[in-house]
Amino acid sequence: MAEMWINMGPQHPMTHGLWNLRIKVDGETITDAEPEVGYLHRGIEKICENRTYTQILPIADRLCYGASLSWNHLYCRTVEDLMGIEVPERAQYLRVAALEMQRIASHLMWLAAYAADLGMMIGFIYAMRDREIFIDLLQSLTGSRITYNFCRIGGVAHDVPPDFERDSLRACDYMEKKIREYYDLYEGSKVFMMRNVGVGVLTKEDAMNLGVTGPPLRASGVRYDLRKDMPYESYPEIDFQPITHPDGDCYARYCVRMEEMLESCKIIRQALQRMPKGKWRVLAPRNAPIGTGLGRVEDPRGEGMMYVVGDGTDRPYRLKIRSPIFVTVSAAKRMLVGYKVADVVAIMGGLDMCIGEADR
Amino acid sequence: MNLYEFSYGIIHWLVDLVNHLWYWLGSWLPGGLGDFFDDVGNFAASHSNISVFAIVLEAIIMFVIILVNVLNFIWIDRKFMGRMFDFYGPYYVGYRIGGWLQNLADGMKLFVKEIIVPAKADRFGYLLAPVIFVGSSIAILAAIPLSPKFAILTSPTDTGVPAGVLFAFAMFAIAPFSILVAGWASNNKYTLIGGMRSAAQMMSYEIPLLLCVASVVVLAGGFSFFEVVEAQRTVWFAIPLVIGFVVFIICMFAEVEVQPFDLPEAEAELVEGWTTEYSGMRFGLFMMTSYLRGYCAGALITALFLGGWIGPSFIPGPIWFLIKAYIVFVIVEWARWSLPRVRIDQLLNIGWKRLMPLAIVNLMIAVALKSLGWF
Amino acid sequence: MAGSRRGAPGEGIERAPMKVDGEADERVIRTVIDSFPTTVKDFQKVGAGVLRAKIDRRDLFRACKLLRDRLGFEHISMISAIEYADRFELVYHIACYGSCMLLELITSTPKDDPTVDSVSAIWGGANWQEREAFDLMGIGFNNHPKLERILLPKDFMYHPLRKEYKEGP
Repeated sequence: MAEMWINMGPQHPMTHGLWNLRIKVDGETITDAEPEVGYLHRGIEKICENRTYTQILPIADRLCYGASLSWNHLYCRTVEDLMGIEVPERAQYLRVAALEMQRIASHLMWLAAYAADLGMMIGFIYAMRDREIFIDLLQSLTGSRITYNFCRIGGVAHDVPPDFERDSLRACDYMEKKIREYYDLYEGSKVFMMRNVGVGVLTKEDAMNLGVTGPPLRASGVRYDLRKDMPYESYPEIDFQPITHPDGDCYARYCVRMEEMLESCKIIRQALQRMPKGKWRVLAPRNAPIGTGLGRVEDPRGEGMMYVVGDGTDRPYRLKIRSPIFVTVSAAKRMLVGYKVADVVAIMGGLDMCIGEADR
Repeated sequence: MNLYEFSYGIIHWLVDLVNHLWYWLGSWLPGGLGDFFDDVGNFAASHSNISVFAIVLEAIIMFVIILVNVLNFIWIDRKFMGRMFDFYGPYYVGYRIGGWLQNLADGMKLFVKEIIVPAKADRFGYLLAPVIFVGSSIAILAAIPLSPKFAILTSPTDTGVPAGVLFAFAMFAIAPFSILVAGWASNNKYTLIGGMRSAAQMMSYEIPLLLCVASVVVLAGGFSFFEVVEAQRTVWFAIPLVIGFVVFIICMFAEVEVQPFDLPEAEAELVEGWTTEYSGMRFGLFMMTSYLRGYCAGALITALFLGGWIGPSFIPGPIWFLIKAYIVFVIVEWARWSLPRVRIDQLLNIGWKRLMPLAIVNLMIAVALKSLGWF
Repeated sequence: MAGSRRGAPGEGIERAPMKVDGEADERVIRTVIDSFPTTVKDFQKVGAGVLRAKIDRRDLFRACKLLRDRLGFEHISMISAIEYADRFELVYHIACYGSCMLLELITSTPKDDPTVDSVSAIWGGANWQEREAFDLMGIGFNNHPKLERILLPKDFMYHPLRKEYKEGP
């Protein structure tokens, strides 16, 4: 069969989100790949130039609906950097606990979609069932299941509900048990290992050069986690380890994310135990000073950044959003060339793509 | 009394009933017409006529029983999958009997759907492929007896057609051809890929399959199902031929296209594979035939390896056969919903590099056992 | 757990201790100012491990090459394009994994000639970010391998993030 260009998408059951992947195949082997994004572009950066700082809070949520608390928090950090606000300690610990719960929920959703793509429906159902526990916790804390809008500029929206610490600790115990079950389910299955080991290898130099961040970077052997290396909120006081894996294939990315979930359970426990009593919010001024603010956090999908330019009014002059998936998808070509068409699912699934943040 | 005599009796009784009315009517009519009526009545009651209809009736009985079992299989599949996945299976339709009527509801839904034929599809191939697929799969049913007294392909001396096993597997092997035609005639890049993958998978797993069948036939001494099952009176073939048993089950996974070998219809990549462009009851027929082939796989495993209808005689033979087929099916389902999908080149690797040597070893074991005189 | 390894000391990259001390900052500032004495100005520390500098756009490519090759800044985080009344500004956030630093490098271009050299030959991660700056703000990048629209349709005629493009009716 001669070489031909195949379009996978934009309407396709496999692709999480609306994007197009054009691959050039020679029989079953991929010789070239070109991802195309932009189908979900909503013009968020332009919208934000016409909204006040508080009005942008729910918009930042909807950037990536898979990990929306993380983007909400990133925006709050950026504006707090611009306005020079110091967030009270109780709010910092609460933010950390909620962020880690969001991280677990986001990784579980990745696991569910990944298992479903590989044909293992049972993994899908189990991961979704366990994600419900964390979504319920976050619902009792913030009031909604997916787009939380919990952080405010200067703190968090409200205090914890009663029994929140007890329920969260129970959830962490349950999750640690379940992850050990997942290890049996996935790594005990020879078929899963056959489809993941050695597939989609990304070397360390390529990963660093192409701007890949987050779990794919750590799975290629680079030990860089923003929570440890340029820490924010109350992460300096919490004891945990960034997870790396030297191989750089799909199995490595799977391992990194699974262990990150275990680390998140540890972080939640420590954050909730150390949380002091006190105020959970500081009122922010209405108008921002003239200047710039930078926020840089470890999103579940990579390194998220926001850069805001303030001009003295209550609306930002410019808000620039850096989405980790936007850059990681551009590295898709390096990871896909040389593998089979059936590996596209495993490789692109392993990157945990959420197109909402890529297109903004 | 075997199935043929049973249906003969029914048809005879039916013809007698009608003939009473017919002769009575004829006696009222004037001469020439009355003679004509008598002739027709005599012809209807003649042995050759009744035997033709008896054969049709026994085929219908067998067909209906198997189809009801296939509906049961679909129901077990969905309920079992539900319980493994921590939800209920079909629940509301037929609430008191556990949702069994869901199958009928789905069938009715598929009947009333609009049938769309793609404009650029090759009409002849598109319409012919389901016919071949369904027809050949149903023809397998004819060859598999549920017990010596409950079979279609028998000779008057009740010994069964001398080449029953061969016929069943020949019919089984026509399917890849129709899948190729269906995938190509739909005029869709993805169904073409799906059809080719499916045909490659099925053909490469035929070989270990038939080698295992050859080993069973060597031990049994004949190609007929009756001989194969009778040879298992002392011990089921699954025990001396355990390698062959395992290889046969894995090959059946690939032939019937269940996970982990269902790449041709991998939803994540190719939507529905080679059946994408079929709609309405055509698609329903493909789905039903998939499960029908699942039943045939279970029945073949039972007949060849698990002793068929042999069991303690407080339960009649056909029921034993069906119980064993159900158990095999449940084990297949268990494996199906727990494993991820195997990639196409890994799949072909398994078929050629791992299963074929094992099947050959199995054949050598069978020849050795036979020449030692133990069977 | 089978197969995964936590970062052991010495694995990954050679790294400085977690809290950035003044030495690494100083080294970077010295090297850059020595290489480009006339075109780099306004060095300041804006936070723990975050430096900011302005550079002339003609020296941008050489400065980035120096940063990557000699000073070990392997990762370009973000390329932002901002439009002011009299100029366009491009803010490059470049990160160093080894010493946990972030450098904010700002260049500006005149309003009537918004072009800069592309750094995608140095860092592959800059490729799509520059395409996005071109798409939404209309900044041209010389020597870019494929400067096309990425987020908007290929035949869209405007650059929406410019201040002259008004939102809504």
